[in-house]
Amino acid sequence: MMKYFKILLLVMLAFASCQNRSGSAKQKKIAIIVSTLNNPWFVFLAQTAAARAKTLGYDSKIFDSQNNTALETDHFENAIADGYNAILFNPTDANGSVVNVQKAKKAGVPVFCMDREVNSPDATSQIFSDSYSGCVALAKDFVQTLNKKGNYVELLGLVADNNTWARSKGFHSLVDYYPGLKMVAQQSADFDRNKGLEVMESILQAHPNIDAVFAGNDAMAMGAYQALVAAGKADHVKVFGFDGAEDAIQAIKDKKVSATAMQFPKVIAQAAADDADAYFKGKRDFPKKLPVAVELVTYDNVNDYIAYGKK
Amino acid sequence: MKKAIKYILAIILVLFIASNSIYFKKLSDVKASAAKQFDAAKYARNYLNTQLIPAADKAPQADDLLAILKSSPDTAFKTYSHGLDIGNIRFFMVQGQGTVTAVDENDIYILTKDKQALKIAIEYVFGNALRDAPGLININDFTNTMDLNNIAAEVDKIVRAEVLPPIKSKIKTGDKLTFAGAFELNQEHINLDKIEVIPAILKIDK
Repeated sequence: MMKYFKILLLVMLAFASCQNRSGSAKQKKIAIIVSTLNNPWFVFLAQTAAARAKTLGYDSKIFDSQNNTALETDHFENAIADGYNAILFNPTDANGSVVNVQKAKKAGVPVFCMDREVNSPDATSQIFSDSYSGCVALAKDFVQTLNKKGNYVELLGLVADNNTWARSKGFHSLVDYYPGLKMVAQQSADFDRNKGLEVMESILQAHPNIDAVFAGNDAMAMGAYQALVAAGKADHVKVFGFDGAEDAIQAIKDKKVSATAMQFPKVIAQAAADDADAYFKGKRDFPKKLPVAVELVTYDNVNDYIAYGKK
Repeated sequence: MKKAIKYILAIILVLFIASNSIYFKKLSDVKASAAKQFDAAKYARNYLNTQLIPAADKAPQADDLLAILKSSPDTAFKTYSHGLDIGNIRFFMVQGQGTVTAVDENDIYILTKDKQALKIAIEYVFGNALRDAPGLININDFTNTMDLNNIAAEVDKIVRAEVLPPIKSKIKTGDKLTFAGAFELNQEHINLDKIEVIPAILKIDK
């Protein structure tokens, strides 16, 4: 009798352990590693990804790389060591971040890139704004607003980021058809508002007679606008940004900024989290690259939009 | 004697490994092979001739497409629009005839047979409309996103260089026009008054 009882106990234990294992499979963890939390756009991206992960039933943690690839590497190593099952990744550097993606792949942890690309096929999928096409649309508005002539300044983002060059190339693919538009200065301000202000102040010393500024993101555009206000040129010089950030949308309503290109971080973050969920459920054939359309926002249609997306 | 053979074999082995570990290439050859990776201009020319123009010939008539966009926009987007991006921006192929009501430096304004007003772009023929509208390019065939961007830019360049000049110099109010091309619409904010067709084919009817 005792023998049968022991066998029954063993069988029950085996079932209990199976149940426990399937329960732990549900408790997968997702690491969200973003380039910086010093920019509200990336805060929104990270928080949206975390919220989606939670809705899908996963634990998640946000890591801030502070635009530093060495810190990003530490986050990857910690995430892998801590048993995170997937990484939603906003890279700091298209080339410098490749090693981290490779490290995760080697450890069997899928990486889903958000908003920025890495120059590597090892990411499971890359979902990003179609910055090039967004800047083609922005450039058309730029040329029309300036009536095909004038001097302008271009503020570039981080030089190691693919988005910086996708935006610049998209812009120039159209603007360079018009010889009446002369770029008098092109300088990086690292996608940063304070640097945008400083760089613009210094450019205005050398080139006081400008008609427009094209900035690779709204933070730099707002910094440039501040410099133009300080120089007493804000009424004449047209400012163009990119992102669809809250202050830029308000500035368009107030006719301080001419236009921006609206990205949809919510779409990007949710799609990346959904991909991680699909991966956990067995999907493997993800499109390597998935661009998200960017929309032009001007004074004429600004009421259709709120920060980071449509109304 | 045995030692000598061992040394000879070791030297041969070291030389073999060394010769296979290091190789030299001319920098110009490396640059040339990198440049050869993707020829967007060649791709665009081939795409235009073998895919875009045949797709333009089969595109829905402007009057029919505009009618369905007004009456049943969801069906119109599902049936006729394409786009490589996810999101609200979609592209349609279209063809038709019309009478020119006005011309300015950016557009030709026409009235179709069914009296629908439409704009044909003759200045800003940029963007992804002609690349995406036929729905024939697969994004997964391209590992480099910039290759796709360059295809759109090269197709637009051909239109600016070859399709527009013969028309821009001659077109005037009252002319009859045959056109085929593509346009962009935002599916969340449909504004049919702002449709601007990027032409792949543009002819003044005699």
